[in-house]
Amino acid sequence: MNSSQVPVARKQGLVVQEMPEEVLIYDLDTNKAHCLNKTAAFVWKSCDGNKSIADITKSFENDFGSPVNEDLVWLAVEQLNDKNLLSEGLQTNFKGQNRREVIKKIGFAAVIALPVVASLTAPSSALATASCACVAPADCAAQTGCPSTVNCNPSGVCAP
Amino acid sequence: MCLSRILQFSRMSKRKVSDYLKEEYQFKFESYGVKIGIKSNNKSFLKKMEKHLRKIVPASFVIDDSLEAEHDFLLNVKSDGLYELYKDGEKITFGESEENFFNFSTSKLRLTIAEYADSRVFLHAGVVGWNGKAIVIPGKSFQGKTTLVAELIKRGALYYSDEYAVLNEEGLVYPFPKTLSLRGFVDKYKQVETEAQSIGGKIGAEPIPVGMVLITEYEAGAEWKPRIISAGQGIMEILAHTIPIRYNPQFSLQVLNKMANHAIIAKSKRGEARDFVETLLKFYETNVR
Repeated sequence: MNSSQVPVARKQGLVVQEMPEEVLIYDLDTNKAHCLNKTAAFVWKSCDGNKSIADITKSFENDFGSPVNEDLVWLAVEQLNDKNLLSEGLQTNFKGQNRREVIKKIGFAAVIALPVVASLTAPSSALATASCACVAPADCAAQTGCPSTVNCNPSGVCAP
Repeated sequence: MCLSRILQFSRMSKRKVSDYLKEEYQFKFESYGVKIGIKSNNKSFLKKMEKHLRKIVPASFVIDDSLEAEHDFLLNVKSDGLYELYKDGEKITFGESEENFFNFSTSKLRLTIAEYADSRVFLHAGVVGWNGKAIVIPGKSFQGKTTLVAELIKRGALYYSDEYAVLNEEGLVYPFPKTLSLRGFVDKYKQVETEAQSIGGKIGAEPIPVGMVLITEYEAGAEWKPRIISAGQGIMEILAHTIPIRYNPQFSLQVLNKMANHAIIAKSKRGEARDFVETLLKFYETNVR
């Protein structure tokens, strides 16, 4: 783990929606939506290509008014990296500890929330959430939210 | 006049499809910026469809036979009793049941409007109005949205929709008052189309702000343990039911953000709608200002 590494937030191919406490990001390449909590959002916004991990940790402390373990920033960076929200991948390594141990260690000490990046793939078709109406069994194949995707029953519903 | 007999078509693909139609009628309309043309050799079927559409998108339904349709539907009723549906020249489905065909075709039309609307975001959701604000209940089919909406209507809520929450750029929700598709009368799958008025309901007329988004699904015996979740977490839940999310993610996120800024988003499983609705309304009164 090298705290002089300089992470850069990815900007291309993303739709970003700022919210009071969170940031929502929609990845146009993968059709995945990501919700960054306040901690993760701060780190992502700080990844401007100029600040090192150590710098981000310092600005985090200034902004939140609380001492922060550098591992907390690394935890955020690791998740952002995994979700392809950084323009270049960074090598994370928690000094021989696994991720769970790091979370446990930080969790006990942290006053602020651990970074969380929740993700979801957008439905592949608008039909997936549609009404389950059908005329023939083939109509049900794309209606993945219905009780059956292979049967159109006599009532005209994708169901047994 | 909304139906007009037509003599020729502008595109080869459609000419092939409809060559064998002896008579053909059409109407074109625009709804929320989506331009749709519908043709059929069955005038009464087409009239029925027009009536249906006029009713469910009252805020935006403009018949205009001169417009250039972006989505073309063709409904062909064959002499052997087979019904065929084409979209943009491609056969979508066929079958013998007129009722099923009508339900499927209208569902496709509604979905087309929902997906391509340029100034609205459609969520697959039940919606009612309560004290000037909307309760929006996103969810997949068969999760009990309509049953819950019906129970709320019986308690005096205004009916907005059992299928789509239609949101404008400010996050206000518009009525989309199709008939309620209630299940459980014939069997657990068969839908019985029911007018909101027949269960004592009134249909909302004005766009209203969203007071609460309820992330819930029915589970037998489930206890209501609501958590008010953050706007971001709530939007992630709602995204799975956001029809234009892939087509127009930027506008979808902007609108959901506007909606979430003024609403609470509560999440919990629930039991029977009839028993639950009183609890829900108390929760609403306590938490929504």
